[in-house]
Amino acid sequence: MTAIKRNSLILLAVCVLALAPTGLPPYAMTLLTEALILGLFAMSLDLMVGYTRLLSFGHAAAYGLGAYAAGNLLLHTSIPLVFAVLLAALFSGIVAIGIAWVCTLASGVSFSMLTLAFAQLLYAVAFKWTAATGASDGLAGIPRSAGPFGITVFAGRAGFYYLVLACLVAAFIFCRSLVQSPFGAVLRGIRENEAKTLSLGYNTRRYKIAVVAVSFMLGGLAGALYAPFAGFTNTELLFWLFSGQVLIMVIVGGAGTLIGPIIGAAFFMLVSNLLSSWTDSWALFFGAIFILFVLFAPQGIWGLATRWRSLSSTG
Amino acid sequence: MDFLGFLVTQCLNALSQAALLFFLGVGLTLIFGIMRIVNFAHGAFFMLGAYVGYSAVHLTGSFWASLIAAPLLVGGFGAAFELGILRQLYRRDHSAFLMVTFGLTLIMGEAIRLLWGVAALEVPAPKILSGIVFILDEPFPIYRLFLIGAGIVVAIAIWQFLERTRLGLLIRATSQNAEMVHALGTDVRLVRSAVFGIGCGLAGIGGVFAAPLVTASLGMAPNAVIDTFVIVIIGGMGSFAGSLIGALLVAFVQVFGTYYFPNLALALMYLLMLTVLVIRPGGLLGKEA
Amino acid sequence: MALLELDGLTRRFGGIVAVDEVTMRVAAGEVRAVIGPNGAGKSTLFNLITGVTKPTSGTVRFDDHALTGLSAYSVCQRGVSRTFQITALFPEMTARENVRLSAQARHARRWQPWGGGAVFADAETRADAALERLGLTQVAHRPAGLLSHGDQRLLEVAMALSQQPRLLLLDEPTQGLSVEETEQAVDTLSTLLADGAMTVLLVEHDMEVVFRLAHMITVLHRGSVIADGTPEEVRSSEDVQRAYLGGLA
Repeated sequence: MTAIKRNSLILLAVCVLALAPTGLPPYAMTLLTEALILGLFAMSLDLMVGYTRLLSFGHAAAYGLGAYAAGNLLLHTSIPLVFAVLLAALFSGIVAIGIAWVCTLASGVSFSMLTLAFAQLLYAVAFKWTAATGASDGLAGIPRSAGPFGITVFAGRAGFYYLVLACLVAAFIFCRSLVQSPFGAVLRGIRENEAKTLSLGYNTRRYKIAVVAVSFMLGGLAGALYAPFAGFTNTELLFWLFSGQVLIMVIVGGAGTLIGPIIGAAFFMLVSNLLSSWTDSWALFFGAIFILFVLFAPQGIWGLATRWRSLSSTG
Repeated sequence: MDFLGFLVTQCLNALSQAALLFFLGVGLTLIFGIMRIVNFAHGAFFMLGAYVGYSAVHLTGSFWASLIAAPLLVGGFGAAFELGILRQLYRRDHSAFLMVTFGLTLIMGEAIRLLWGVAALEVPAPKILSGIVFILDEPFPIYRLFLIGAGIVVAIAIWQFLERTRLGLLIRATSQNAEMVHALGTDVRLVRSAVFGIGCGLAGIGGVFAAPLVTASLGMAPNAVIDTFVIVIIGGMGSFAGSLIGALLVAFVQVFGTYYFPNLALALMYLLMLTVLVIRPGGLLGKEA
Repeated sequence: MALLELDGLTRRFGGIVAVDEVTMRVAAGEVRAVIGPNGAGKSTLFNLITGVTKPTSGTVRFDDHALTGLSAYSVCQRGVSRTFQITALFPEMTARENVRLSAQARHARRWQPWGGGAVFADAETRADAALERLGLTQVAHRPAGLLSHGDQRLLEVAMALSQQPRLLLLDEPTQGLSVEETEQAVDTLSTLLADGAMTVLLVEHDMEVVFRLAHMITVLHRGSVIADGTPEEVRSSEDVQRAYLGGLA
């Protein structure tokens, strides 16, 4: 698919999404908002998994850090919603530098297990640190604080939706610029042959730490949006199953494409909603779908779609 | 309470814990040694063993029967999975294995929930093994002594199996040079399936042994995987002796660490993993014959 | 003062001494071949110089700066580029992208996380020049993994060259090449090295290649230097003949 076609499709999708509040009923709007938040979360993981081949089993840590930070800021201070969300995202990114510094001491499977261990650690801490996290009850009654200048547009359903949409679009533009930059070229080198990249003179560890920090910042942004969206946070946001879900979204949607994971998130939400009417064993189905995609369609939904399109245009 | 008595019982505690961890670790290290993959679902197989053990005890009324049934069923399931699914992945890179075994963990976790429910299950130890003895005036559960014994027996059994039996020889040879084994006429794929099955079966039997102590529950899987991974990193992937050492080290850290720093159990494991990875960044490469 | 100075460089692996008290002086502009039977320690020597392996003892000095103990990427940044015995490329990137990434590593803003027009343009210019010199312009847009083995070896050299190194380490560049491919490669390399602007350390098994390209030869045997001098001196050395069991070609 050419760049022009792709960009036009994306622009079209954004326009359609922008029109959603005019046509959709409240229940659908809520689902759509959540799908966009998860799409942002999945896209953030793609920077690590798809572009740098850093397989993380603990990305829920980013989401949880963002959610709890935003929750605390909104509950205990009068910082306006938008600033609280951005601050929480920044917080997640900064903490990630420490996490990444540790995890990048290892590589391959060891790296992945360290990410899991770290997320488990945060999960355990969240249970114990009642003051900051409300322990197993979590934080509740998180407001969509007004401001600046007393504006309350984000408190409403449509207003909040546009905030989420804006964040997703901005994050997408940011990510795309990042992967197409010289920094992104180095990430690609690390993905395809880290030893060679190192021997070319690149301090690959620094690049890995940087991409993890950015990935956590954007994942934290998603979590920070979730807190005022749902009005509450709890330890489920740090649970390893959630890390697994977002990884599935990335792979099933199409790793290394930025768009793919967003589609994966939408797919995930759609299927789990359909499933929930007759079973709550979503984990079973998603585990199976995951395995099937890894086996037979590792390029994911978006990968299949773009390949089909380029085949059909030449064939 | 006298210090010596305390020390001895805690050491025995650690040894019994080490036995459990050893079952897990030796299975994972065997699988890695042959297949160069990390079985993310190892914790799930452990869990499955505990639940199958629970059912076997309730069906037959015999703990001993479940000790036989569980590893066979769990190992059989593992071998079937390797045959059906993992086989397709040997030409791919290792992240594919991690992801597929992760998917399996999800499926197994959910299947267990569907079949056995969410409530933690109580698996009673057999009558002769319940109760306590007094060691240096400190009470100590007989079941834990039994575990230590079981651990030693299984360790010796595995060692002899690897050294003396034909399959054991094939396994050791394959872990060093699979192509040569193939050239000599053995179907390496069968060896791999057998090893995966054995490894999972060992995890399963670990689950049965653990069940009377821990009460089978769904939260076991990820922490079990992390513990197991730390063990094989310490001991070196693919090393039988290493998994023994690793299990002992991790068990002692857990038991004494939890006693002195009760809130930091998970953090301790994490610190241990970090320390090992820093000292032995080639942790995955350490492989002795 | 020599450009590259190795002093008593030693590397032990458990009981095995892979590199044993190697002392060497390579002058600027020189092409030095390092030869020896299999297991003589040649690749380990390269790894020691480039920081991939740390020496057990001894030092490496490059342009009068200590290189010992630096990490692989730092060594490269000092102006030492290398190729590998087992071809190491980015298989899904095109040949041009491979060389571009290599050239990019020399740019001050190689890490820039936005835009990059200037960085890429500069890297592409250098990449195209390197591809041209190695005769790879025709295949520039093919994925590196799909190139012929010979072209892949040359691509690695192009990558190293695009970094404009002051010291170039070539690890068996003609390994796995057919007779024609070897001829071509040697022609290309000898044109490349004709102006004496680059200092080269060359590990080779093929003696014809060595005699065509090298000014000086160092012979390693079981990790230590057993001969060091011009091709004629080495050819007539008895030690060398004994080590190779039957003399050089």
